[in-house]
Amino acid sequence: MNENLKYEEALAQLETIVRKMEDGEYNIDEIAAQLKDAQRLIKFCQDKLTKTEEELLKIQAERN
Amino acid sequence: MSQQAYTLRQLNLMVRDAIEAELSDEYWVQAELSECRENRGHCYMELIEKDEQSNTPIARASAKCWKTTWNVVRPHFERTTGQPLHAGMKVLLRVYPQFHEAYGFSWIVTDIDPTYTIGDLARRRQEIIVKLKQEGVFDLQRELCLPLFCQRIAVISSETAAGYGDFCRQLEENDYGFRFSVTLFPAIMQGEQVEQSIIFALNQIYSASSNLPPLGETFGASGPPPNGGDEKGAFDCVVIIRGGGATTDLSGFDTLALAENVAQFPIPVITGIGHDRDESILDMVAHQRVKTPTAAAALLIDNLKRVADRIADARQRIPTLAIHVITDHLHRLELLQNRLPVAIERRLTVQRHRLENLSIQLQGYDPQRLLSRGYSITLYNGRTVRDASQLKPGDEIETRVEKGSFKSIIK
Repeated sequence: MNENLKYEEALAQLETIVRKMEDGEYNIDEIAAQLKDAQRLIKFCQDKLTKTEEELLKIQAERN
Repeated sequence: MSQQAYTLRQLNLMVRDAIEAELSDEYWVQAELSECRENRGHCYMELIEKDEQSNTPIARASAKCWKTTWNVVRPHFERTTGQPLHAGMKVLLRVYPQFHEAYGFSWIVTDIDPTYTIGDLARRRQEIIVKLKQEGVFDLQRELCLPLFCQRIAVISSETAAGYGDFCRQLEENDYGFRFSVTLFPAIMQGEQVEQSIIFALNQIYSASSNLPPLGETFGASGPPPNGGDEKGAFDCVVIIRGGGATTDLSGFDTLALAENVAQFPIPVITGIGHDRDESILDMVAHQRVKTPTAAAALLIDNLKRVADRIADARQRIPTLAIHVITDHLHRLELLQNRLPVAIERRLTVQRHRLENLSIQLQGYDPQRLLSRGYSITLYNGRTVRDASQLKPGDEIETRVEKGSFKSIIK
């Protein structure tokens, strides 16, 4: 996955996969690959959020 | 020819007698002052009446107010009108005529009615206000906003005025450590030259704000002003202050030209020209008016304080809000994540059902099921026999039953 991916782009891709999955738009052959992609996107987003949260807490701590 | 000739003195004395005999009363007279000056405690005036249409003089006379009267009349007049007698003013005087054989004709003033002058000033002020409104400039200043970081202050004041010192000190010693950069544009703040002098100062400020190098003492070698000297100009606002002077003469602040200049000035103008009676027209067209230079400084400090408070408030709230955003997104991700297995499971279940149905359908075609129910299949040369006439005696056929098969010969 592209490391320069923006959080919002990743989230949009993830939402698309979930929607297509729910609408049955994937072939059975594709499902596994798409699930893998989805999980990678989830991890990517979570990592971004966690990292940002840590940074925020650090900034707050420095201020106090 | 022995025609009798008078000496000038004799003739003048006759005039004097005639006037004293015929005009022995005192009279109230309305006139405009074309000149007015004090000398050794006496007040010397030149009175004029102009034709209302053409504005050309149609009557003139000198008038004098002797010291003893003047000492009583002047304080009363100045207290009531808020300004000293000056040229251009309309006055109502109580006078008696005097013709002095050596000095000529003069009206001697015994009283001045200030209410007449007040009425005239008010009417003129009103005319100026109406004109400013007609020109559409009366409210222009109030449509401006003080910049958030209003720190570069152009001051119009007289350099030596105590008010200017108060203003600077108040800004400098503010409780919050804010820094202001103050540039003085000196001007005459009382008397006849107020209008011209302030307009000149405004023009200087305007030039300084139009990408020309600032004129004041604060900038220059000491580096850029606090805001970095952005392209919007060198100053954030103009403060016009006076104070410390004994006189209450504010007539200079009531002129049309000054009001027009201030009203149309592109950055906010704050006035602190201190007085108790009616606002001056300058105050009316200004962005904001306060009574004293100190109050003007307080206003600027307050403005900056409000901005500082907003910043402090934002600083307080941003971290919490940011964490909220993150938490919301984590939650949203979790929901998305949970939807995936459900969707996949549903999809697979549908497919499984389809497969099952297919297999049930297929079972219906399985021949073994017929055989197990007691039917048999007959084959000839490996093909199913569907028509007995296809066979002739001697042919060998194969018969399949539930369990195994056997061969037979047709008879």
